[in-house]
Amino acid sequence: MKLRAIKGIILKDLKEIRREKMVLFWIFVFPLMWITLLGGIWGGESPPITVDVGVVYFNETTPFTAYDVVKIMENVTIEGVHIFNIRTYPSENSGVDALKHGKIDALIVFPKGFGANITRGLQAKVYVYFDKSDPQNYQIVSGAIKGFFSEFEKRMQEKSIEITFQYMERYMPKETSISIDEIKKHLLAMANPLVLEEREVKGETASAIQFYVTSFIGIQFLFATMISIGAGTLEEIEKGTLRRIAASPATAWDFLIGKMLSTFITIMVSIFVGITYAKLVFGETVFPSPLGWLIIFIAAVFSMSLGLAIAMGTRSIKATNAIVNLISMPLLFLAAIVIPESILPEWARPIANYFPLGRALKDLRLLELYHRPASEIMPDVLWLALGSFCMLVIAVLLYNWAVKRLK
Amino acid sequence: MNAIEIKDLWKSYGDVKALRGVSLEIKEGEIFALLGPNGAGKTTLIRILAEGLGYDKGEIRIFGEKLSKKTARLIGYVPQESIAYDLLTVKENLEFYADLYDAPKDKIDALIERFELPAKKKAKELSGGFKRRLNLAISLLYDPKILILDEPSTGLDVPSRRKLWELIESFKEEGKTILLATHYMEEAEALADRIAIMNEGKVIAIGTADELKALIGEESIIQVEGLLKGIEKLREEFPKLIEKDGILRIQVKNPRESLPRIVEILISQGSEIKGVKVEEPTLEDVFLKLTGRGLE
Ligand SMILES: Nc1ncnc2c1ncn2[C@@H]1O[C@H](COP(=O)(O)OP(=O)(O)OP(=O)(O)O)[C@@H](O)[C@H]1O
Ligand SMILES: [Mg+2]
Repeated sequence: MKLRAIKGIILKDLKEIRREKMVLFWIFVFPLMWITLLGGIWGGESPPITVDVGVVYFNETTPFTAYDVVKIMENVTIEGVHIFNIRTYPSENSGVDALKHGKIDALIVFPKGFGANITRGLQAKVYVYFDKSDPQNYQIVSGAIKGFFSEFEKRMQEKSIEITFQYMERYMPKETSISIDEIKKHLLAMANPLVLEEREVKGETASAIQFYVTSFIGIQFLFATMISIGAGTLEEIEKGTLRRIAASPATAWDFLIGKMLSTFITIMVSIFVGITYAKLVFGETVFPSPLGWLIIFIAAVFSMSLGLAIAMGTRSIKATNAIVNLISMPLLFLAAIVIPESILPEWARPIANYFPLGRALKDLRLLELYHRPASEIMPDVLWLALGSFCMLVIAVLLYNWAVKRLK
Repeated sequence: MNAIEIKDLWKSYGDVKALRGVSLEIKEGEIFALLGPNGAGKTTLIRILAEGLGYDKGEIRIFGEKLSKKTARLIGYVPQESIAYDLLTVKENLEFYADLYDAPKDKIDALIERFELPAKKKAKELSGGFKRRLNLAISLLYDPKILILDEPSTGLDVPSRRKLWELIESFKEEGKTILLATHYMEEAEALADRIAIMNEGKVIAIGTADELKALIGEESIIQVEGLLKGIEKLREEFPKLIEKDGILRIQVKNPRESLPRIVEILISQGSEIKGVKVEEPTLEDVFLKLTGRGLE
């Protein structure tokens, strides 16, 4: 091993990369585009939803009417945003029509006599129409409306208990063994047996941006790393410079070490840039722990070996590019690089779990995003290291074979 | 002492036999040329010496020592194609190769000056002549005792070629041994102390240019110029004939008898002859005599 030669090869590679516009694009611009795009679309806080609700009601003269309910609905806000966007329709038919055409998300019909029933303390009916063709939207819309009505119901019960209580106070004998407060409590509990109190916790869950920062690291391994080492080595074979290096006091092994190190340095720089970029643009990022960096290192070795193996197997830059893209494009999704594993179809789960880059990324996420203890991940890391080592051996054998063919 | 000694060297690429028992001795300090047509095996021979290309059979010694990775530093190799990295500057290329050969860095500036190279220009911006000179500079970084050049002037214009020849001669003055492959007989004649003529993987003659020409022996060369017709007819009677750029060269034993006969045949076939002269033989004529065909 000639250290000066290896140093020379690394420096030469880095200088070349710095001046090669296409390489710069793939290594730096392309992944940053991903982060920006994904982070911009799915990152950040999702705004509170608003639901378009159509209402149909009739004019009544009672003290409390459907119109009052509608007014209350209009004023419901979450974090200062009105939830219901109310539109009034003259008849049930025209409302249903609007719902069918997607102009509103739901239609609430207050039948004749609604106000009268409520005022007299009788049961009042309300009809709600939903469009169930989009199940996700249905869940959101029905949740909001049902939530509103159950809250509304609760308030009405409290109100009626209060009224009942006023009567009771008037007619109850003063000397009883049970206190009035006690009865009041029991009555309230009858109406609301359960009090649900929401308390917010800033959980240890990962934000979307953090998820996409790890995606970006995966993307680097799926594309830039493989293409960079594969094409870089093939270029030197085609140009004859590898033959020249092998003929010098340095050896083809020195070349391989130099090439791997220069690729590794480049990828590390680009990962570092990505991590910093996310911090600057979105205000948050993932900065891996030492074990996280170890996983990244192992993944880098695997990815470089796979890229080199493909290049040495095909011995054509074009074929290498094509194969890498062919493999990596679907793996972006199937190996859960840019989407969470939880939304993968059942048949794709093994790919995410057993394709080393998918697994490495999963471990990295468990460690850095979900703060699992290192001991839980260690066995995986050992397997990954073994897998990467095997891939490296394959790549080196193919490389050796390609170098022999030069002679 | 012999700088290079090759004994019975064989090399094939699959079915193609590129070298078929080549033996050569190149003396220290001489300029030695391998002259032969395309496919003769010149590059193959050079790559075995300079790039560690494997061979099937034979023995090679460099200054008495068996050819190996250890002798690699004794040999500087200037291949036909550029070995510079396009995106690196002239100086950066030299720095890289200096690292590779563990050569002293202080040689770099001296080489840049000697070859009048633009240090800061990227290799891809260099003209063919400068690229060739950069190749030369790279192979001289570690001051090898033997310099091997493959087709050094192919593709260069006349001034660049002259310049290169001067440089090669200056290396000889410094005591380097030079082996060059070429298919230009002018290049071999202008530079080489000794020449090996190669054809189809074999060395068919070795000697100084004069010694080689003497192989033609008693024969003279008749050169005919003009608008020539009936060359095939002429070949029936005078088989040692080559035609190049409208000039006909014919090897004959007895020019006084042959000349009128040649003119007679050509005119009878409708040729317009502009000039006829009896000439000294060239290396090309030697090659023709030995192989029955021209160099190109
Ligand atoms: N890498 C190779 N693989 C297969 N055949 C080869 C290879 N290199 C050379 N040959 C064949 O070996 C023979 C000798 O080629 P070589 O390049 O040594 O000739 P040369 O004298 O240098 O010719 P030229 O003047 O064209 O450079 C040719 O028939 C050539 O086709
Ligand atoms: Mg050649």
